[in-house]
Amino acid sequence: MLRATAVSQSFGGERVLDDLSIEVDAGEVLGVIGPSGVGKTTLLRTLALSLEPDEGSVTLEGTDVWAAGEADRLALRRRVGMVFQEASLFDGSVGHNVEYGIRVRKPWSDRIAAAVGLAGPPDAVHESLDVVGMTDKVNQHADSLSGGEAQRVSFARALAYDPDVLLLDEPTSDLDPRNTAVIEEAIDEARNRGIGVVVATHDMHQAERVADRVAVLLDDGVTEVGPTDVIFDDPTDERTRKFISGELVY
Amino acid sequence: MPLEPVVPLLPEVLGGPTHHHLPLLLDLSFREGYVRSIIYVSLYVSLTAVALSTLFSVPVAILVGFSEFPGKQFVKSVVNTGMGFPSVVVGLLVLFAVSNQGPLGSLDLVFTREAMIMSQFVLATPPITAITLAAVSGVDDGVRDAARALGGTRLDVALVVLKEARYGIATAILAGFGRAVSEVGSVLIVGGNITGADGISKTRTLTTAIQLEARQGQYETAMVLGAVLVALVLTVNAVVVHFGDEGVAG
Repeated sequence: MLRATAVSQSFGGERVLDDLSIEVDAGEVLGVIGPSGVGKTTLLRTLALSLEPDEGSVTLEGTDVWAAGEADRLALRRRVGMVFQEASLFDGSVGHNVEYGIRVRKPWSDRIAAAVGLAGPPDAVHESLDVVGMTDKVNQHADSLSGGEAQRVSFARALAYDPDVLLLDEPTSDLDPRNTAVIEEAIDEARNRGIGVVVATHDMHQAERVADRVAVLLDDGVTEVGPTDVIFDDPTDERTRKFISGELVY
Repeated sequence: MPLEPVVPLLPEVLGGPTHHHLPLLLDLSFREGYVRSIIYVSLYVSLTAVALSTLFSVPVAILVGFSEFPGKQFVKSVVNTGMGFPSVVVGLLVLFAVSNQGPLGSLDLVFTREAMIMSQFVLATPPITAITLAAVSGVDDGVRDAARALGGTRLDVALVVLKEARYGIATAILAGFGRAVSEVGSVLIVGGNITGADGISKTRTLTTAIQLEARQGQYETAMVLGAVLVALVLTVNAVVVHFGDEGVAG
């Protein structure tokens, strides 16, 4: 479904991604594991169609995103959702936040009607909040949420407009076990809805719990991609084996 | 010409009953409608200039804040320098522009409210632009990234940033209004501090009236007009703060 082929990305002369290829299909969870600073976030931003790769291509269901016109690219970008490490909620209620992705896809006449209170929040807002157990907070201001609650709302915000692909960048790195469990259940729910999910994490146990396939991203690119049990139990690449076993320390 | 005592104005200014026995106020008198007319001219000129400046400055600040281009720091330096630009020099430049020899000479704007608006526009624009730019630049990058990742267009992202930065923008507008309404030198040069034969202000503002009264030794009158000016500024501040708070609730 969403595929990056031989992408390279550099910042200030430093090569962050080098000839990297990766793909996620509908209804699967792909874990991207690797140490901090190895380029996981850059990879996800490239997959989110926010960063144009210096080299290589990104395709969504066969359409080359960066070869498309601006309007087509916006339409493609709107089929991908992303949750960041920081929740970065907007100033407003929980419902206002979760509705954002739905709102920007509507014509301006509908948006104005909603702004003046002529239209209530769509059902998808409550459904998404239900996935992360936050329906009772729909009218609460985002500033009043704990960090874990904010990240759950951030997840619901990306889920609400029913994307084809959901990209999660270290979504639980700052969360307690309870909120982490809620997010992992929500990842499972996204997979059940047929959404392709990419989870970048440095928590190998989390990747083992939630991912169908795992890509190991080390300094010199993706060393190995495969089914989760194979990557963790019987990796073929020596560097992957050392990273999984903890012998390769960063 | 009938005379109108200024004392009835004081309950509004001082927030209490009129104290006719105060020796300071006994000798104060103005032509009918005089005070109202200079308040009107002050507000008309300052609010129009600030409104026009806001319409110009906020988009410019967003454009500069959102863009990366060579010379961006230079542009910021120019804007910041403009905040300290001597107002009499602005007045002289505007007077030259609207004089018979100037590029706008055919518009016959010398000693008119329109020329005063031009002068105050030039004075109010640097603080409104600079403070708005600082407010926009201070919005968390994560909020912009989230708005874009959720499918927002450039306009959608700009609207989110505007909402997040609204207190800073309100401060910018108040700073611009403060500079405009308290201005003496430039409005004196381009406006001429003129009243009609009926005593009604044509281009006389509260500040130029205060300057005139003080120069003529009418200190009590100047003090009362100063109090009216302070009351006006406080009222405008209160209105802006009130609408800012309503924005949070919404």
